[in-house]
Amino acid sequence: MDFSLTDEQRMLRDSARDFLATEWPVAELRRMLDASDAAGASNALWRKIVDLGWPGLLVDEDYEGLGLEMFDLAVLMEEVGQYLIPGTLHASGVLAALALAALGDEAAKQRYLPKLAEGALKATVGVYERNSGWTTALLGGASNGTVAKRFVPDAGDADLILLVNKTSGNDVELAIAHDSEVSNLHSMDVTRPLFGVECKSANLERVGSGTLADLQAALDRAAFALSAEMVGGAARVLAMTVEYVKNRKQFGRAVATFQAVQHKAADMLIGIEKARTAVYYAAAAADEQPEKLGEAASIAKIAANAAFVEASQKGVQLHGGLGFTWEQDLHLYLKRAKASEFTYGDSTWHLDRVAHLLGLS
Amino acid sequence: MRDHRAFRRGFQGLFGTAGKLLPPDERTLVQPADIPVAAARIGACGSPRNRDALEGTIHSPDREQSRSGVDPNAIGLQRRVSRARASTVRAMVTMRVPMTRLQDTPEEAAFRDRLRNWLAENTPSVAKHDVAGLKAWQKRLYEAGWLGLTWPSEYGGQGLTYREQAIFNQESAAAKVPPSINNIGLMIAGPALIAVASSEQKERYLRPILTAEEIWCQGFSEPNAGSDLAALQTKAVSDGDAYVITGQKIWTSNSLIADYIWLLVRTDPDAPRHKGITALVVDMKSPGVTVKPLRQLTGEAEFGEVFFDQVRVPKANRVGAENDGWVIGMKTFTRERANISISLSVRLQQQFDRLLHAVRSRDVPLDVQCARQVAQAYVDSECLTLTCERLADRLFGFESSVVKVAWAEMNQRLQELGLDTLGPEAPLLPGRGFDESAESTATWGTEALAEGGESFEKSWQFGYLRSRANTIEGGTSEILRSVIAERVLGLPRK
Repeated sequence: MDFSLTDEQRMLRDSARDFLATEWPVAELRRMLDASDAAGASNALWRKIVDLGWPGLLVDEDYEGLGLEMFDLAVLMEEVGQYLIPGTLHASGVLAALALAALGDEAAKQRYLPKLAEGALKATVGVYERNSGWTTALLGGASNGTVAKRFVPDAGDADLILLVNKTSGNDVELAIAHDSEVSNLHSMDVTRPLFGVECKSANLERVGSGTLADLQAALDRAAFALSAEMVGGAARVLAMTVEYVKNRKQFGRAVATFQAVQHKAADMLIGIEKARTAVYYAAAAADEQPEKLGEAASIAKIAANAAFVEASQKGVQLHGGLGFTWEQDLHLYLKRAKASEFTYGDSTWHLDRVAHLLGLS
Repeated sequence: MRDHRAFRRGFQGLFGTAGKLLPPDERTLVQPADIPVAAARIGACGSPRNRDALEGTIHSPDREQSRSGVDPNAIGLQRRVSRARASTVRAMVTMRVPMTRLQDTPEEAAFRDRLRNWLAENTPSVAKHDVAGLKAWQKRLYEAGWLGLTWPSEYGGQGLTYREQAIFNQESAAAKVPPSINNIGLMIAGPALIAVASSEQKERYLRPILTAEEIWCQGFSEPNAGSDLAALQTKAVSDGDAYVITGQKIWTSNSLIADYIWLLVRTDPDAPRHKGITALVVDMKSPGVTVKPLRQLTGEAEFGEVFFDQVRVPKANRVGAENDGWVIGMKTFTRERANISISLSVRLQQQFDRLLHAVRSRDVPLDVQCARQVAQAYVDSECLTLTCERLADRLFGFESSVVKVAWAEMNQRLQELGLDTLGPEAPLLPGRGFDESAESTATWGTEALAEGGESFEKSWQFGYLRSRANTIEGGTSEILRSVIAERVLGLPRK
């Protein structure tokens, strides 16, 4: 579905799409997952992404990046989401770039952002803890001289692990974790692994600070970028499903002619269109009305959660027995959808936040 | 090259829309410290809200400057990122998605101001069933130049765009003007005639639709041809310079007061079913036409049954060629859905505001589950409203079905939620309930502004019951899902 892109945007989107389809078809992803040298395959893709300049999308021009705004990101992330690009781009190019920009002090920005933009440095950020849920106000800090973070994306492969720690009631610090212990938490989405990171307080190097609000604003932007990817993923699942049901014949006719099948596909589309709108809305909020960012990011995440989870679940259903196999690609999307749903807040968490903003709680 | 700044201005307009939910003095977020429990889940999502301060930062001149002078043909996020290259790429990427411009241009703002002032001075108070009063109100609107905004000027229209129509919908809804008595003529028959009728027919019929001197209804559905419209059996037999019509139409809105009916009939019973249908304009006062009210589950009779017994209709009243009525009917439908979509966003926001007001004025605080449902309704209504705007220039195509299905189910959830907030009182009808005499107390217009919501027709009970039709009228959700699957996604029919 392509509604109203400009020619320029369509060309941009198509060039991203061409690159991804050529250089990173899902078959390539599967080879990576099955290969003994998964890291090698991932690194090969990363080098190509570096050539495109994508790691520096969000890094300000002052630090040698592209300095794109959130709206620019939406178009590209939708494409990226179609092809289940592994986690490094999000962890380093989105989350770490945002955290450094929001919380990093000037020296840290000068030291790390250009390298990050150049792709020479792969960074990630640990925020959440075992007892914090997605609520940054509940971050605890060090216990027995150790800080323990969970759900840190791509920490296994990162050159630089940053941690956000609460220092007092409303304040946080950004710190580099030196000599940390990194353990794979085995997310069901193996294309975007999550890690536990433990680091002794003594090994933390403080490189910035800010308020909980600063942190949440960065997380809202990251949530928006993830939502854009999710819309792309959902759209891809719908396209795969449409193709499949048109060709699959039962009872002497294409299963696509059955209403029960058609109506599921229609629902997938409705959810995707709503979520795509919400993502654009959040993009505009991030760029131009930061005071609306929290609400808009929550709306986008709620809509994207619903669209992607629904699309991938219905996609599996409409592929029948094939949809349940390891062989078919759908499970990769289903797992990405479910894991993404619980990243930066599930729908219940975001609904509570919207209810609060509406004055209902 | 499109002006992305115009687009960006547009998106600021969006925030105006969403921001209205809280009165200005409540717009500052409650800080976490004020509500410890909520804060625990929500964290620090607050940031200062100072629109004026922010407005100044949105288009800083030097940033705009850095985007000028860019080769629009440059393409591709490629190779190494040098500063110069980055600048080119960034400028290229910042070509915005030109969604509908939501913030008014200066001309649109002037139009809106004029309209708002006019409505403030001229909106009358009209009783719900005062047909003469409602006709007079529509004529006033027409004479002041507020009707037929998108219609050609040679037939009494204003020759404007759907943007002005959307502004009219918003402002008239906000002013709570009386409903349009000739809505079928204005929103369905008129646009269909503009699309397909001869110039003589347009000359004859369009202006009286605008002035409400002639009220229209639409005769498509039959007892055995609802969703399967092509099964219609009302027959028209050629007899000299006339057709003789026999049959029955049903679910015909406004048939009780209509002067004309926009009718589909079968002229060739032997042709394949889509090929033997013809479109006619029929005078409801013709001998042989009988109308019976059809009471709906709300107790009202918005629509009726229309019976045709050997009704003679001049062939000059045929629209388009004989047996060409199916295509004409389909054009009618896409117009209908587009027009409905345009007015949906306004209606949905009003209903959500009403819901929000209801839950805020409760004595008992909302439980967390109910608060989540209201929040979900807000999310859905925002997504849908903005989707209407985003897809605006596609709403004359099959994409309007996406909006219609989503709106119908959304409005049903919203109305049910409103009813649910009443707790044990929910099943009790205000006033005298289904007693039709109670309806006559309902008024539209200026008095409605001050009304406390006592009348049946403004109650959640009525809203809930009436909303059951949303997924049926204007195409059932089942049919529309098939339209989406077949016409938008390209799935095969057979």
